[in-house]
Amino acid sequence: MQTHQLTARGLARRLAWTVLAGLGVALAPSTARADGSPSGEQIYRQRCASCHGANGEGTAEDYPQPLAGEKSVKKLSKLIHKTMPSDDPGTCSKEDSDRVAAYLYDAFYSPIAQARNQVARIELSRLTVRQYRNAVTDLIASFRQPEQREEAQGLRAEYFKGRRFNDKNRVLQRIDPLVKFDFKDASPDAETIDPHEFSIRWEGTVTAPETGEYEFNIRSEHATRLWINDPNRPLIDAWVKSGDDLNHRGSITLLGGRAYRLKLEFTKANQGVDDSQKAKAKAPLQASIALEWTPPGQVAEPIPARCLSTGKAPEWYIATTPFPPDDRSVGYERGTSISKEWDQATTDAAIEAAGYVATRLGELAGVRDGAPDREAKLREFSKRFIEQAFRRPVDDGLRQRYIDRQFESAGDPATAVKRVVLLTLKSPRFLYLDLKPQPDGYDVASRLSFALWDSLPDRPLREAAASDALKTREQVARQAERMVNDPRTKAKLHWFLFQWLKVDHAPEIVRDAETFPGFSPEVVADLRTSLDLFLDDVVWSEGSDFRQILASDTLILNGRLAKFYGADLPEDAPFQKVRLNPEARAGVTSHPYLMATFAYTSATSPIHRGVFLSRNVLGRVLSPPPEAFLPFTPDLHPGLNTRERTALQTSPEKCMRCHSLINPLGFSLEHFDAVGRFRGEELGRSIDATGHYTNRDDGTISFEGARGLAEFLAGSDDARNTFVSRLFHALIKQPILAFGPKTPARLRTSFESDGFHIRKLVAEIAVTAALEGTGTSPWTSE
Amino acid sequence: MAHARSRRAFLRDLGIQGAALPFLLNLPSLGFANQAKRKQRLVIMFTPDGIVPPTFWPDEEGTGFTLKESLTPLEQFRDRTLILHGVCDKIRGDGDGHMRGIGCLLTGVELFPGNVQGGSDTPAGWSSGISIDQEIKNTLQAAPATRTRFGSLEFGVLVPDRADTWTRMIYAGPNKPVTPINDPYQMFNKLYGRTKDRESLKSILDDLQDDLRKVEAIVSVEDRRLLKEHATLVRELELELKQGETRDVGHAVPELEPGVKAENDNIPHISKMQIDLMVNSFAGDFARVASLQYTNSVGQARMRWLGINEGQHDLSHKPDSDKDAQDKLTQINKWYCEQLAYLAKRLAETPEPGGGGSLLDNTMIVWTNELGKGNSHTQDNIPFVCVGNGLDFQMGRSVKFKKVPHNRLLMSLAHGMGHQIERFGNPNYCGDGPLTELT
Repeated sequence: MQTHQLTARGLARRLAWTVLAGLGVALAPSTARADGSPSGEQIYRQRCASCHGANGEGTAEDYPQPLAGEKSVKKLSKLIHKTMPSDDPGTCSKEDSDRVAAYLYDAFYSPIAQARNQVARIELSRLTVRQYRNAVTDLIASFRQPEQREEAQGLRAEYFKGRRFNDKNRVLQRIDPLVKFDFKDASPDAETIDPHEFSIRWEGTVTAPETGEYEFNIRSEHATRLWINDPNRPLIDAWVKSGDDLNHRGSITLLGGRAYRLKLEFTKANQGVDDSQKAKAKAPLQASIALEWTPPGQVAEPIPARCLSTGKAPEWYIATTPFPPDDRSVGYERGTSISKEWDQATTDAAIEAAGYVATRLGELAGVRDGAPDREAKLREFSKRFIEQAFRRPVDDGLRQRYIDRQFESAGDPATAVKRVVLLTLKSPRFLYLDLKPQPDGYDVASRLSFALWDSLPDRPLREAAASDALKTREQVARQAERMVNDPRTKAKLHWFLFQWLKVDHAPEIVRDAETFPGFSPEVVADLRTSLDLFLDDVVWSEGSDFRQILASDTLILNGRLAKFYGADLPEDAPFQKVRLNPEARAGVTSHPYLMATFAYTSATSPIHRGVFLSRNVLGRVLSPPPEAFLPFTPDLHPGLNTRERTALQTSPEKCMRCHSLINPLGFSLEHFDAVGRFRGEELGRSIDATGHYTNRDDGTISFEGARGLAEFLAGSDDARNTFVSRLFHALIKQPILAFGPKTPARLRTSFESDGFHIRKLVAEIAVTAALEGTGTSPWTSE
Repeated sequence: MAHARSRRAFLRDLGIQGAALPFLLNLPSLGFANQAKRKQRLVIMFTPDGIVPPTFWPDEEGTGFTLKESLTPLEQFRDRTLILHGVCDKIRGDGDGHMRGIGCLLTGVELFPGNVQGGSDTPAGWSSGISIDQEIKNTLQAAPATRTRFGSLEFGVLVPDRADTWTRMIYAGPNKPVTPINDPYQMFNKLYGRTKDRESLKSILDDLQDDLRKVEAIVSVEDRRLLKEHATLVRELELELKQGETRDVGHAVPELEPGVKAENDNIPHISKMQIDLMVNSFAGDFARVASLQYTNSVGQARMRWLGINEGQHDLSHKPDSDKDAQDKLTQINKWYCEQLAYLAKRLAETPEPGGGGSLLDNTMIVWTNELGKGNSHTQDNIPFVCVGNGLDFQMGRSVKFKKVPHNRLLMSLAHGMGHQIERFGNPNYCGDGPLTELT
């Protein structure tokens, strides 16, 4: 039986189990009963534990199965009385059987006891929704030309005189950072282009900052069409101009962090019969064009230059099948449970992908209809497809099951490929991570890529696994360092940071228009961008310093935000670093987007701010309020400011158990109103922004204002530990303690010695998790 | 709407209370409006560039008429044919005759101003209204009793791969042209893709279950639970697929001849494939409305299989005095009429599922064109030839109207399909309501 062969990983799991179960035993009473007869526990110790293990976990030699199940105490007792001990059944009295059954039921047998005794272990996990989508996208993309990234922002533009997009008509080529032009009745280039008729083509890529549905909008009086991702079918086809509608919209779901092929065409000429001579007799018409988009949960804006590039991108396959959301009950997404809906979604998604592949076989597999080597090529395609999906080479058994049988039974090779794709994407070898108990180089590769990208290994990683070059810590670390710079890591980090800061679902922020005139949806959208750019700037700077996130004295604002928040920038200024109220403001925790997120429509919310700081930044566990409360409204106590009102409402002792932690953290941000603007006073009295933090040992650290808070956080062990474990959970989707009780402290130490370098921490976490159970220690010092 | 009423509403209106319901529902003799009503279907068939009037229109009115050369293929359906002369497309505005011809034919309303420049007149864009087939489809889809999987299916035969005013006849709304499906294989996937997918899925389940067992054996005991759960889900899927077999499409999935390319010389081939798919889709009750569009307005089919090498549109510009051209145009329209007759024949041969008679008893085909005559580009006397008994029109007649606007005929089609609209398209041409002489 394979359970006898305890593997390294299995052993680690089992050991962790025993350690904690042992703790449970130490606390449990083991004395005899009052009448002197042995207790259930004593009987178990004496007569059962030698085979079943001290805590029912089993012993490798005699009885490897753990004692756990769903029988009742009564049934257990009967069973014990009848069959135990196995070398001399029937010698355990009825009374003793009752006692020992009752003991083991509560101690470890029942499902409740199992759950109670559960310790952190690496649980078998399926791909999360995010991982599934990325994996299928990258799997299909691996059969296409890779992306060619270019640094230049903006789009390649070609200007043509006349209606035809040909070499003869091309008179001007340049890079346009934005598509936002009003030519009026004139020409884009008076020397070479007649204003009556001209055409323009823009090409390049557009990068989606987040996953979700994007609406594109072309605003123009003339004929336009736009291709996003799919080069064969325009997303917007307004080539026939009809009526006086200036706006043409189309929506598409994009995965965050990827660059998508973009092509936009514009013409000022009519179609059909050539009437250019007739047109020239009249005054030239007005002409303008703007390319806008509405990112998920945001407002329409011209696509900014930072999201446009002159590079080239492959067509990405994007699965549109909806999946049920992943379990986030433990604070991070994980794939440790499945459901009927999930299984149905994997079926639908497999059918969707198979249909996509089947209609593009010529392109993806490089075969022509009727070519003599068609079947051979399709078999080869199938093999590569499976190897990449399963993250390891295909052996004979797999080849027979996954390829040969499908080709034999399907009748024609195209149908066979469809079946191969279906079977592969429904296979547990694709859907689950880390199936093999004895991890090898392929597992290390796969762990790395899922940790850093939520996707499949790329070619260099596959090659490293194949050539056994993922053996030493250095080899694995080198790969991790390379991979951290991939856009997919950037996308995953962005996703993590927004979760950490509790703004991942683009909260709808609506403020009282009378109190905060000018706080428009556009300002809210700009604030989200501002936060994104700030985080980006810190994480991808050379220092990548975590403390900068918490304590930096710069904000990134554009003209519109500067106007609202009172910074000195021209109205149309692009996003740039600004120091705003530097004496009071510091770090992400006083970023106006967070300040506005954790506030009411017209008042601040020190409680929301304090809860966010306690839980997300300092990692403290808070129990929910004993009953539901509505916050006191300001008009109920017109003489009290927010701080006083909050203190009053939470003054009862049962509240203060948590609020003595929450309130003083939140109060320190009182200088920032419900839209994150600085305020010196409230109700004519100056703001009291003193605050403090009570740490786990009941020590108290006092500080004043957002800057004091930021400096405290930047030096706080609790904040660092919280960041390390939250990042670990987001990357690995397994409990950090399952990787050994010392792992949190070790990662913290290396984080510190690397100068709190976030990207290095990311790589370190990926390496640690990748080497788990391989026999190679992830720790450099050992 | 009268036909959309539910049983419950019907019973409620009768004043029957809940307690009486079980008795009532067991009484088969009580006919419910929804169930007693027959399935009705409408097919619009379009061919381009006008016809040759002397070889098309019967001389007589009423039941005793003689089919002229272009319409001779309909001889076998003479009693089920209704030929409507004197229906005129009065819509004017932007766009040349061909553009307005096809764009206003089923919408009865002007084109928007736009950037598509024709051979004459001002440039234009898309139609500013919905087409009658989509209007009827929306009504059918709104009522549970008449709702079908697709509602309507738009077939094309060599419609050019170019979206402009000349190539689009069907509109889902203003500025919303619907692209017909030209490719029989694409149409097949639309109709039967799910069935094929289920077949493929069924074929892999044994291998999947085998492999799940193998994988289950590799993982640790604690982790086995999840895979066991997974295996149960796969078994459930298998069971559902088996149960699904019995309530599949209800008819044999047609086999398509593979590899027919979209080329001029394959027009007869593609035409037959598309007609066969349409008949199948009706037998499976996938849709109650369909259209079949041959090429496009200004269409240039070269009917080499008839010995005609010139493009149809070029021929259609020849004067009446060019006898050779007129003969060829007559042959061309006769060939189109053969397609109509083939569709009618296939419908007549196919029994109405769950009812008496044939599909043709409950289907009406309307064959039409964007022009009355090619060389004059007239929109007077647009051809409307109806075949089949899907609407309660009085068939087997030749009717000659005195230049009635075609909006009134479009309204008649809606009324005949149970959709009592008071106007359709440009209201200036709807004044006298649907045509009264049809039923």
